[in-house]
Amino acid sequence: MPPEHALVIRNIKKRFGDLAVLNGISLTAHKGDVISLLGSSGSGKSTLLRCINLLETPDEGEVYVTGERIEMTRDRHGKTVPKSQKQVDHIRTRLGMVFQGFNLWSHRTILENIIEAPVHVLGIPKAEAKEYALELLHKVGIANKADSYPDHLSGGQQQRVAIARALAMKPAVMLFDEPTSALDPELVGEVLRVMRQLADEGMTMLVVTHEMGFAREVSSQVIFLHQGQIEEQGSPEQVFNNPRSERCQQFLATQLK
Amino acid sequence: MLDLQGYGWLLLKGLQMTVLVGLCAMFMAILFGLLGAWGKFSHSRLANWAADTYTTVVRGVPELILLLLVYYGVPKLIQDGAAALGYELRLDLNPFVAGFMTIGFIYGAFCTEVLRGAFLSVPRGQMEAARAIGMSKALAFRRVQLPLAMRMALPGLGNVWMVLIKATALISLIQLDELMRNAKLAATATHQPFTFYFLASLLFLAITLVSMLVLKRAETWAKRGVRV
Ligand SMILES: Nc1ncnc2c1ncn2[C@@H]1O[C@H](COP(=O)(O)OP(=O)(O)OP(=O)(O)O)[C@@H](O)[C@H]1O
Ligand SMILES: [Mg+2]
Repeated sequence: MPPEHALVIRNIKKRFGDLAVLNGISLTAHKGDVISLLGSSGSGKSTLLRCINLLETPDEGEVYVTGERIEMTRDRHGKTVPKSQKQVDHIRTRLGMVFQGFNLWSHRTILENIIEAPVHVLGIPKAEAKEYALELLHKVGIANKADSYPDHLSGGQQQRVAIARALAMKPAVMLFDEPTSALDPELVGEVLRVMRQLADEGMTMLVVTHEMGFAREVSSQVIFLHQGQIEEQGSPEQVFNNPRSERCQQFLATQLK
Repeated sequence: MLDLQGYGWLLLKGLQMTVLVGLCAMFMAILFGLLGAWGKFSHSRLANWAADTYTTVVRGVPELILLLLVYYGVPKLIQDGAAALGYELRLDLNPFVAGFMTIGFIYGAFCTEVLRGAFLSVPRGQMEAARAIGMSKALAFRRVQLPLAMRMALPGLGNVWMVLIKATALISLIQLDELMRNAKLAATATHQPFTFYFLASLLFLAITLVSMLVLKRAETWAKRGVRV
């Protein structure tokens, strides 16, 4: 895989027991692409993101990050498992993940949250990590909260810190799983603004979202998932203005009301 | 004025020993507790079984019996075993070590339950965020899961400590010169049982009061960042 393919996934399948959640998903994100993933609840959006950074192990399929393939093998029960946990850990440093529930470490200050992985995983000197962390905090607009604890911040602020924490690793791809769904409506805008700015700067992004405005205006590609399959895929104009799939039309109708 | 006939220093030395053996025992108890909690969470049936047996046995057998079993029973067992193999062996356990190991082992069972609950109360997302950013399992445990669990566990561990420190009085029975034994020596020598046992109980109470203060501080510190 050429490295300008920031992220390539091929034929990802995943089941939980009897439930087939992903039925062969493939997609390619070139450097700088912003791909929005839409779909109703239970369609497998989160599972897809979690299969990309191996928080869930896909049963089948391949994941390439900046051209490097995540090596898989089978254990003695025939289950698919990563060949090397070390490689997985390494690849994860190149995939920034932003969760719906922020998941900032509650026992560490904002600054400590951001420098934690750069210092302890990448081995960057603390002073250097701090400097970059403050720069990032400035960028997401919360420089004055560096020494606060996450619980003392609003949801919107926490999510912006979570984005900064992921950016501190200088990832190749950012994965967002409904980053604004847990927020009060008046706080959604501040987080979307940061995400737009990232997109403008050329960050490669895979975004699960229900924010149709964001998906339409920012994405280079929109994917509609249904029952673990890609049901509709194309440019925002294509998908929003004349979707071919009936299910996608119905979904958009309920979302855009 | 109270006449301690020169035995006051003996009580203070006893106090020192009690605190020391108590701290060592607590340290062991937390180690046993972590081991026990790990056993309960483990996917290995054997580890589950061992951890369950551990907590059940400790709950069911009086502390005193366990202490005597370790101090007198274990060396004898080993000596007899050696004799059967034709070796002459003389083995004496150090009462300090036997004492804090036994008390640590017993209270480790209580710590197991406290720590198990504490680990369960750490939200899943905390660990997921750590793994997703590239931390190894061990690093994520050390930097995220353990500190979060420990602060959840702090009040419970504090309770264990309060009970544990009183239980160290049992170690007097295997001739360790801690507070209880020295109080008894002084009481016998001076024929003033009330004075010395009363002073000893005040000293135990003092340990508890100081512990409560320290714990309160520690809990405030651990809760930093948690909005009330
Ligand atoms: N760890 C798991 N074990 C069992 N089933 C799971 C697990 N994770 C997800 N599922 C199931 O897989 C299906 C897809 O879940 P997923 O979270 O990927 O959906 P989603 O598209 O993200 O939905 P939502 O919009 O509600 O977040 C659901 O039916 C869910 O119940
Ligand atoms: Mg989801």
